[in-house]
Amino acid sequence: MEIREHPTVEKKKIAPDKCVLTGKGDWYFPQSDIYETPDNFTILIDMPGVDTEHITIDLRDNELVINGEVSQEAYRDEKVLYNEYAIGHYHRHFVISDAINRDKIEAKMLDGVLSLVLPKAEHIKPRKIEVKAE
Amino acid sequence: MGLIKWERTGPLDTLAHIQGEMSDLLNVLSSAPRGEGYAAMEFPPIIVSLNESSVFVRAELPGIRISDLDIQVMDDVLTIKGERKPVAFGVKTTYLRRERSYGTFARSIMLPEKADVEEVTASYKNGVLLVTLPRAAEAKPKQVVIQKA
Repeated sequence: MEIREHPTVEKKKIAPDKCVLTGKGDWYFPQSDIYETPDNFTILIDMPGVDTEHITIDLRDNELVINGEVSQEAYRDEKVLYNEYAIGHYHRHFVISDAINRDKIEAKMLDGVLSLVLPKAEHIKPRKIEVKAE
Repeated sequence: MGLIKWERTGPLDTLAHIQGEMSDLLNVLSSAPRGEGYAAMEFPPIIVSLNESSVFVRAELPGIRISDLDIQVMDDVLTIKGERKPVAFGVKTTYLRRERSYGTFARSIMLPEKADVEEVTASYKNGVLLVTLPRAAEAKPKQVVIQKA
């Protein structure tokens, strides 16, 4: 596995030319990883600053839509002197196939990282076919 | 809550998408240190803010264990060191997409003023580190009482 000396957390701003945005605040694409294990697909998404109760995960047709909203309350009484990252909401969507057992998708939020576990459907898992002796 | 409505894409939009991806790639390749100058490459990105009593340093550090973080203050320099470790699944894993990166980092920040070193506190919530540095007594404005002669 590649280990970089300086990890980066970069989020790309969602430009309003491809979509229609409503509501307050900017939206960003968070960075994410997708891993495959023998039984699951795991999606990890960096969403620093989002509370567990401000995450919505929707599955519509083939699309898994993840939104996370960030509160900026804390800054109200403070004067910002230096700013390197933008605070905004997060949005990311993934198209999923029939290879996933949709009833058993699980999500967990830990330390600003959302992890989604998408179990593989039974019909795509490798199966061993036993040879019967006659 | 805000809503995002995505435009449904037609066949020509796919071409536009490829063009967009290519220009993103060219941007990445042609500008070695991205962003405005060197500071943009520093990790973690920080926000420094201030109120009457304290200086606040916030850093976006998602997915790091508290035990992997090391924070030190000396006079007016704050140092944040740590390591972001890759997730271990314990079974055979392949990855299909990797945008997040891992590794060690260290960063020192010059604070806008001297902090009361004994009273510095740090908390880590939802992947955001918040270091609260109470302003040292000499840095706070002192009211001078005018004596009647």
